[in-house]
This record gives sequence, C-alpha cells and structure tokens, in this order.
Amino acid sequence: MLGYSDKQQAFIEVNKIAYTYPQGTQVILDMTTKFYPQQFTAIVGSNGSGKTTLGKLLAGIFKPTSGQVLIAGKLSTRLKLGEIGQKVGYLFQEPERQIFAPSVREEIGFVLNFRGVSEREIAEKVAKMLNLFHLAELKDEYPFRLSRGEKQRLALAAILVNEPIFLILDEPTTGLDLHRREELSQILQELKLQGLGLVVISHDEDFVNANADRVLEISGGEIIADQQLHPNDRGE
Amino acid sequence: MQTSSSTQTIEENELDPRSKLCIVFALSSVAVFVQKIWLLALILMLGMVLTYLLGENLHLFKRFGRIIWLFVGIAVIQSIFTPEGIPLIAIGKIRLLTVGGLEKGVCFLLRIMAIIVPASIMISTGTREIIQGLVQWKVPYEIAFMVSLAIRFLPLLSEEIKDTFIAIQLRGIELDKIPLGKRLRMYSYLFMPVLSGVILKARELSTAMETRAFRAFPRRTSYRVLKLQNQDYLVMGMSLCFVIVVLTINFYYKGGF
Repeated sequence: MLGYSDKQQAFIEVNKIAYTYPQGTQVILDMTTKFYPQQFTAIVGSNGSGKTTLGKLLAGIFKPTSGQVLIAGKLSTRLKLGEIGQKVGYLFQEPERQIFAPSVREEIGFVLNFRGVSEREIAEKVAKMLNLFHLAELKDEYPFRLSRGEKQRLALAAILVNEPIFLILDEPTTGLDLHRREELSQILQELKLQGLGLVVISHDEDFVNANADRVLEISGGEIIADQQLHPNDRGE
Repeated sequence: MQTSSSTQTIEENELDPRSKLCIVFALSSVAVFVQKIWLLALILMLGMVLTYLLGENLHLFKRFGRIIWLFVGIAVIQSIFTPEGIPLIAIGKIRLLTVGGLEKGVCFLLRIMAIIVPASIMISTGTREIIQGLVQWKVPYEIAFMVSLAIRFLPLLSEEIKDTFIAIQLRGIELDKIPLGKRLRMYSYLFMPVLSGVILKARELSTAMETRAFRAFPRRTSYRVLKLQNQDYLVMGMSLCFVIVVLTINFYYKGGF
C-alpha cells in the first residue's frame, strides 16, 4: 500500500464503493482504497470526475449506494454526522455554507459553546485560532462581510478548534494568495506531524506537489492513479 | 421585435402555461374557501388526477407521509382548545381528541394538500415559458421575472439549508443529545448563512442584470411568443366554471360534512 503498510491502521477504508445520485447519475464506480493518519493525500482529477462526491462519502455526508466506507473501523451508514464530526473535520468547497455565527469570534467558539466548554477555555482556544489564521483584527467582524480567502481561513479555524483527528478539505486554496497558501501549507504540515490524517481535494497542482505524500487521481468515478510522492519528488 | 417568422408556439397537444396556471389558481383558490371535508377531498382528487394526466410525478404527494404527525398534532390541539363534538379520548375533564378536533385536523391536511398538489402541474413547465405566459397576460416583466427567479432559486435554497445543517452536525454536534433549548437555539443559526447567501446572490444577480442592460429600454420584445389554442380556451373556461360551481355548492349546500 504505497509506503503505508497494513501494519498501520487505516483511519478511513473504502471497500468497493459505488455512488449514484438520486437523480440517477452514477458518479463513483467500484472504488477501493485506504486513508491513513499522518498522511497527506491529495485527490486530483478534472471537473465532474467525482472528487467532491468521494470527499462527501469519506466524511459520511453521502452514504454509498453499494460497498462500504469505514470511518475509524465503523460503517459510515451506522454513524450519525454528529459522531463523525467529533473525529473528522470537513471543509466545504463554498465556505459560506459552514459559517453560521454573527461574528468571527463567535463562529470559532460555536461548537465549544454547544459542548459546554467553560468560557475561559473557549476564549483561550478562540484567541489561539484567531492568531494562527491571522483573523485577530477581524474578530468582531460580521463573517459574511469577509473576503473569500478570509472566509476560507475562518471556516478552517472553526473546524480545527474542534480538534479533529482527520481532515477532509475541498479546494482549500481557493481565494488564497500565494502568501496565505504557504501559510496554509505550513499549518497542514504541522497538523500532519501532530498525527492528523489529511485528504485534500484540489486543482492546485503547485500546492499538491508541495504538500502531498500521496496523489490519488480519479476520472469518471474510478481511481486511475495512486502515486506515492517522496520528499525528493517535492524538492525537499 | 415580434415577427410572425420568429413566433413559436409550444408543442401541439401540450397545454399553454397560462392554461396550467389557470388550473392551479382554480384548484388552489377554491381549496382556501371550501369548508366541507368531502368537497376538499374531491378537489384534492381532481388535482391529483389532473397532475397525473398532465404527465407530472406525484412525488410531492408522497412527501405528505412525513408530516402525518403534524396532522395528528393539529387534531389534538384543535380538540383541546375548541372541544366540539363527541370526545374520543379524554383524561378527566380534559378532552384530548374530539370528533370536532379530528374533523378540523382532516380538513387542515386536505386543504394543505389540495393547495400544494396542483402546484406540481407547473414543475415541468420551463420558467421562461411561465414568464412569457405572465407577460402576455400583461403582468409587468419585472414582476414576472421575479417570479421566475423565485422558482429557480428555491431548489438552491433548500440545498443550502441542507448543507448548513450537515456542516453544523459535522462540527461534532449530536442533535439528539443536546437539550431542547440549545437545539432550538442551534436551528436559529441555520438561517444566518441562508439569508446572507440570498442577499449576496441578489446583489451579484442585480449587477449582472445591469451589465446586460436589463430595463435599459421601455419595451421588451420576445423571440418566443405563446399562442392559445382551442384546448386552452376550453381548459380556462372549465376552470372558471369549476370555481363558480364549487363555491356555489360550498356556500349554498346545507348538507352535513
């Protein structure tokens, strides 16, 4: 398994899955693969190849029409989204859809508030995320007034404050300038070193080449290439 | 400019969108006024038959299975607050279910279904045709265009609400495990992204329309022009007769139910 032997426990396992949308369009055909902790997997492919659908299947948002998706050893069909969300963070392609609160600060603390975390702890964690994603100056801003890149960073901060152990990011570099992209790379690499598994769906070839350990190329709902990138391939 | 060569009519044997609108208006508006259960049931059945005959799917009807508990709840509430008729279930002096409450519950469900089911007649009609139909009925283009936008954006809105709901749960919130008060507060968060999305889209759309010279000239011409056929006049006439007959029966027939 491309450098990740079966000795290492996969976090997400995909066994012969297929997915057909209710309207009848079959997007994923017979896919089998595994995703490991501390591995940065990039999913690439042309528009309509099934990347986002696969991402949603991995996050348990969609349930496979046939086959199985196992998240931390449990069938995604038997897990509630709330249970999955405690382990897996998912960044939507459009960040607006995952921003709910009336201020940046409240948005980051949203989930902690609902979980009954103390006010002091919330304030500490929120401040840490505000600094990490350079949002401190915007902390009282109305989130929908932010630029696309700022919204993207806010959505990521709000996911990471939840301390997930696996991240699925759909086009995370959209709207980010070169500098912010590099910062995002650093954050993701740090998270990987801390043991997080990452799946990044992206069209951004430079970002993928600079960060990915493994590149999964899909076309027409099938995996057409599964390539392990070594540090040397990335010029490290 | 409208020229005879540019005039197109919709396919033969297919009803003009204005005829379909007449059917929908007739069925939905009488359903609002009618009080008798049997008459409401008749209107609903007619709506379903017409929806089926016009080649539409009755999937909307199937969705009502999901709100059956709403109907039961309304029957109970009606029974408690307007306790009319023979009590069917009672705890001491409190009437939990009465014949009157049950009748009102059934009436409510039939009315809602009779209003919504005929609307599915319009599903397969293109928004462009609906606008054209309204414009040829002398409805100002701006209003007709707004109606078409509403029709076009409704499915997108429902998709956005679903995504937001998924995103909230994917933050690790198990809805069935949080107290009701917090759960209700959480639902209020659903509207924030939807409302802001609508405002942002409206702003972008209005800019796009301005750049394409929307309302730059006082009069619009249309490539596509609808033409009423004999069958359309017949349908419109029958719709009008239906409204008159049903309302007459409702207000002057003094029989039961």
